[in-house]
Amino acid sequence: MATVGFKEANRRYKLVFWPMTVLYLVVVLGTSWFVATETSAQWVRVVCALATTAPVLAMLWSIIRHTDETDEYTRIRQLRGLAVAGAVTAGAVFIVGFLQMFDALGAVDVFWFGPFYFLAFGLNRCAGLFRSSE
Amino acid sequence: MKNSLKLLRTEQGWSQAQLADKLDVSRQSVNAIERGKYDPSLPLAFAIARLFGRRIEDIFDDEASASTDAP
Repeated sequence: MATVGFKEANRRYKLVFWPMTVLYLVVVLGTSWFVATETSAQWVRVVCALATTAPVLAMLWSIIRHTDETDEYTRIRQLRGLAVAGAVTAGAVFIVGFLQMFDALGAVDVFWFGPFYFLAFGLNRCAGLFRSSE
Repeated sequence: MKNSLKLLRTEQGWSQAQLADKLDVSRQSVNAIERGKYDPSLPLAFAIARLFGRRIEDIFDDEASASTDAP
């Protein structure tokens, strides 16, 4: 873990995160359209799914690298945000899982837990910024 | 841990953002240190001391050692 300072860490984070966000949107639209319109082989669908996942993995890597490289207080807040988001998402998985097990809830796509994690992380960071501005 | 960072900063006429920029930390870091919500690491405490030309113990008040020093 090598700190490069707050400004440089932010620069390096934005350099990866935002282009990958745009790439993700382009790829998810492209592959969704392709898979919907083409009666492709199974392996093509697997390749499309993995290609769509790649920018998300890059975004996660940029968050982890930013956590390593930023200043100490930001790192603590970031780690707390990741931990809270993980706990909230794990809680949601258990709630949905038991509801399904007891036939109180229908099928829920596992996919949605990913965006849920990012949303929980984002909301936690926003709440932290709001508290520190008081 | 109590500290005189806010006093030293305002003496220089710097905002929290300006001090954060000089220390290469976030403004939230400066805010948390000033409010005593976060104690900086030794490297950051040294950087703060260097910036203001003071010793660490002149800026940060170790209340624990003050109480143990008492007769």
